Amino acid sequence: MSSDRLLSLYEEMVTLREFDELCLALKKKDFIYSGYHPYVGQEAVAVGFCGALRREDVLLSTHRAHCHAVARGCPRGGILTEMMGRRTGSAGGLGGGMQILDAPHNFYSGSIVGSNLPIATGVGLAMKQKKLDSVCMCLFGDGASNTGAFHEALNLAAIWKLPIIFVCENNQYAEAMPAREFVSCERISMRAKGYGLEEISIDGNDVEQTRATAEELIARTRNGKGPFLVEALTYRIRGHYVGDPESTYRTKDEVEEWRKKDPILRAGRGLLENGLSQRDLDAVSAKVSKEMEELEKWALAQEFPTLDEATAHVYIPLQKGRE
Amino acid sequence: MAIVTFGEAIRQAYEEEMRRDPNVFLIGEDVGRWGSLYRSSRGLLEQFGPDQVKDAPISEAAIAGCGVGAALMGMRPIVEIMYIDFVSIAMDQIVNHAAKWHQLSGGAVKIPMVLKTQGGCGRRNSSQHSQSLENWFVNVPGLIVVMPSTPYDVKGLLKSAVRNDNPVVFIEHKCLYFDKGEVPEGEYLVPLGKADVKRAGDDVTIIATSWMVQFALRAAEQLAEEGVSCEVADPRTLWPLDKETIITSVRKTGRCIVVTEAPMEGGWSGEAASVVHENCFEHLKKPVKRLCTVRTGIPYGPVFEREILPNELKIRTAVKDILK
Repeated sequence: MSSDRLLSLYEEMVTLREFDELCLALKKKDFIYSGYHPYVGQEAVAVGFCGALRREDVLLSTHRAHCHAVARGCPRGGILTEMMGRRTGSAGGLGGGMQILDAPHNFYSGSIVGSNLPIATGVGLAMKQKKLDSVCMCLFGDGASNTGAFHEALNLAAIWKLPIIFVCENNQYAEAMPAREFVSCERISMRAKGYGLEEISIDGNDVEQTRATAEELIARTRNGKGPFLVEALTYRIRGHYVGDPESTYRTKDEVEEWRKKDPILRAGRGLLENGLSQRDLDAVSAKVSKEMEELEKWALAQEFPTLDEATAHVYIPLQKGRE
Repeated sequence: MAIVTFGEAIRQAYEEEMRRDPNVFLIGEDVGRWGSLYRSSRGLLEQFGPDQVKDAPISEAAIAGCGVGAALMGMRPIVEIMYIDFVSIAMDQIVNHAAKWHQLSGGAVKIPMVLKTQGGCGRRNSSQHSQSLENWFVNVPGLIVVMPSTPYDVKGLLKSAVRNDNPVVFIEHKCLYFDKGEVPEGEYLVPLGKADVKRAGDDVTIIATSWMVQFALRAAEQLAEEGVSCEVADPRTLWPLDKETIITSVRKTGRCIVVTEAPMEGGWSGEAASVVHENCFEHLKKPVKRLCTVRTGIPYGPVFEREILPNELKIRTAVKDILK
């Protein structure tokens, strides 16, 4: 990968990191209420996969959605203020961080683990029947791979050969339940075989690999070769949520080991080896920090929706006498 | 008007809507080759092909989710869940997604999906294939709940449901598919959210749903011979409820009995009774009565099923009681 390209992916990862840090700070000040799940450590997955889509492609995300949305190109102000429950949020501040719906950017997330895989089959089916040139990408975690919905959806997608890339972002913990103990196979990609699909596992902390894999699988899917299931192995550096009792399920040493494999540090090392200077990397951080400062200032000035607005779209009123 | 079965009326609605709009498609277990359990989609696979009539594996969560995703993309799926009892597997998609996404997107997203299923007892299927679970859906904001009772209504309501932009839970009754009734030759719609007075009367209003409408009508017929005049109101759409028709009727008769196959406790029958009490109190000569199936898992076989259900005799007795 060229230095320019890697630098651009590096900047996107730094943006995700800083965005997540901003969310953490706002969460601690109670400007973000609930449903904030830190993303630190997993940036190479979001940047590699979500950033490789076209606008008309559909991305289905999870309860840990905000960085997927940023990497997908949803407006950051919309995502942040959605998490803060403000009117300018991508869905008017009604869903918060676990339910970010940004329809104009074809981004949909939800907080029921595993539930987006069945929805992906419908998106893929519609794309196929309408003969669209677009694909559906569905992100989920190791925990979701244990749900019945995972199995039903993979089977359906496989028998109908739907244009879907299922991306298992294996961050090794479903809340406090370690994949090593709660997933029956060594690698989640092994489950692909049961659906007649290729087994694909990659290093989810290597942004060059995640992006290259995403581009390859998206291209093959556009050519009618889908669906695919890919497992990207990464690590959740922070807790499931801010302040979860981490000591009950993992050691500090384990976290420290994974900090050394940080995807941003790793891409940074690659850039330094390619001849960039630390000053170049610092310039990226400074630029992103400034953007985040402005974003925070703007976000805090936004209004809340009224209760009437918040409850305005429960259902579409029936047309009297027509339907 | 032609005389057709309830099942044939459904087939006609499918055919007309699929022809009118290629975005309309049917998906479910055995909707294609079999033409559905009660043959209500027979011939459609041959007519429209496997893209518009999709046989699906036994995967209710995936089938329902597939409907949500396809609706999101502008299609108009009719998702068939073979028995309402199996809807438990699909519930996450219906309750957490289909019902929520319009609101969660600030109105940007529409999920125009019809979740079509059949429930109720009467075909000796025991307790996992005979339930009346409509109350579950009435309790979820964002869903429209429809229960038709005649061939005319099922066709017109199904066509309206397909054209409606909300998720609609459309519940048929397994004992109605072979019933016959008049259905117009030309196109017509029956509006969602509009009740129908199936029989006019002066002494008592019987509000009945789905299969129970037939029992209520037969009881009313028998009572008429004894000089008692019953009005039978069929809400057709459980939610949103056509309060106006019910209130007008009860204000006229001053007495009301609600008959449902679903158990009484915590259900729609209580909702209907409350609407009457809240709006007709000064017109009521007696408190509202409810007649519902005994609160039990549906026991196996024809005898016990009949014992636990409301029937003509129980309705007649209730009417005589409320007229005292």
